[in-house]
Amino acid sequence: MIMSLDTFLSVAAGGLVLGALYALMAAGLAAIWTTLGIFNFAHGAFIALGAYIGWQLVDAQAAGLGLVVGVAGATAAMFVFGILFHLALVRPFERRHDIVIASVITTLAGAAIIENVINLIWGPRSKQLGLIAEGQIDLGFLNFPLNDLVLIGCVIVILASLGWFLGRTRTGRSMRAVSQNREAAELMGLDVPRLYALAFGISAAMAGLAGIFIGGIRFMTPTMGTDPLMTALIVVIFGGIARFTSPIYAALIVGMVESFSNYFVGLYWTPAILFVMMIAVLFFKPSGLFSHHQRTL
Amino acid sequence: MTAPLLELRGLSGGYDPIQIFQNVDLVVERGQTVGIFGPNGHGKTTLMKTISGVLEPWSGDMILEGVRMNREAARGSRRFRNFNYAAITRRRMDPKAVARAGLIHVPQGNLIFPEMTVAEVLSIAPLAAHGRPDSAGPGLAEIDLLFPRLGERRASKIRYLSGGERQMVSIAAGLLAAPKLLILDEPTLGLSPKLRLELEHSIRKIKEMGVPMIIIDQDVGFLTRLIDRLHLFDHGRIAQSLEHADIPGHDALMALLFGEALT
Repeated sequence: MIMSLDTFLSVAAGGLVLGALYALMAAGLAAIWTTLGIFNFAHGAFIALGAYIGWQLVDAQAAGLGLVVGVAGATAAMFVFGILFHLALVRPFERRHDIVIASVITTLAGAAIIENVINLIWGPRSKQLGLIAEGQIDLGFLNFPLNDLVLIGCVIVILASLGWFLGRTRTGRSMRAVSQNREAAELMGLDVPRLYALAFGISAAMAGLAGIFIGGIRFMTPTMGTDPLMTALIVVIFGGIARFTSPIYAALIVGMVESFSNYFVGLYWTPAILFVMMIAVLFFKPSGLFSHHQRTL
Repeated sequence: MTAPLLELRGLSGGYDPIQIFQNVDLVVERGQTVGIFGPNGHGKTTLMKTISGVLEPWSGDMILEGVRMNREAARGSRRFRNFNYAAITRRRMDPKAVARAGLIHVPQGNLIFPEMTVAEVLSIAPLAAHGRPDSAGPGLAEIDLLFPRLGERRASKIRYLSGGERQMVSIAAGLLAAPKLLILDEPTLGLSPKLRLELEHSIRKIKEMGVPMIIIDQDVGFLTRLIDRLHLFDHGRIAQSLEHADIPGHDALMALLFGEALT
């Protein structure tokens, strides 16, 4: 046998946690990609900023407001920040036909600015947010850290609320309408600029939450979002974006692959394996594994 | 005297840098349904998109019920070719404002929102009438009477509907927005004769409901049976306007548009 059952289960559990985090990040990334048709390279910086704002509000050395208030405050702050980011760096180019390339440049620039501002405010020394919940939970066959369980539970709740918002509310439906056919949505009198801003706000809030979760299990640095952003990109391409659930399945697969390849092949080979997988998907099924139509960029 | 429902004064526009239509003057009186007929690729759809604000007018005015919907022309003063004026100027016309004022444009092509269900599309359609005092438009009950087919298709995604059903969803969504003027851009495009007839029946009912329309179509017979006035559109301008009684047959129309050589 290659590995014992215990090891298998704990590696799989690690993959589940990674998958949940990637699902959160990829869903945020896809929210902008599908709605505005652009790729937000600052999503990684959003993740870092959310984590640092969370740290500022939660940590005892800073504001020390406690976990719940801190997380809520950081999420709200990131929502507003996302709207401002859109207003300053994307909106001015929305009526140009070269919006896609212009937004690549402006969001990359925005990412660099955010990371440097984090560096200026909080310094380059890494910080840690601390676990959301301490202790282990004994599932009989496996000791599962309570923190991971809470994390997965939170991600499920967040994604379920996003699904409810997109499917059941008029604003969410309008957002989907804009993403599927901007011109027809404009003709229906939907407020497209406001829906775009809303998509950015929601995406940034989700990035901030992801950052806070990551800050609990890893050290925070100003560039902490770069690697997760790359993986989230793989997830989005892997799963496709036709439905908002498709990146979620892909995130679980990518999380599992990463967890098992870390165990078997080693940490440094994992990105290579993931990118080879991504290229294979692009080669054989460009629209993504779980979708049949791709938003053209 | 009350202002006409829609008035275009010297409207020009196109896809920068190519001008598609120039100096179009058009008046749609209240309660009137007009048709626009002309060859493909001569700017009918571009004109309609400009009226509804999706494309920016280059010059001229668009007046809906006496209210000018466009801002003053700023285009002439654009001196620097590669400057991003869009970043510092506001749109000359806001499609949301036009739709909320009651001009609803049902676009050409019928795949409006492929991944949404019929019920979802119909649920967001009335948003266009939001905040308008006289927004009592037709409700879902009327839509069911008008398009009985849609009743059983509520849970289907638009992608899985037939061409005719998609067109019906588009028109139904337009009607739910309580239009003061409804623009139908080639509603019969790609439909079978049987479906055309069904659609014609529904559009006649819409007319009887008192909704004025601008209908663009390639089928003169279809147009003639529905409209009060026909505008012939050719080379980016309105070449001729005909009262209903004066509309000649198909061949004579072709002669009018293309000259004697083609008849």
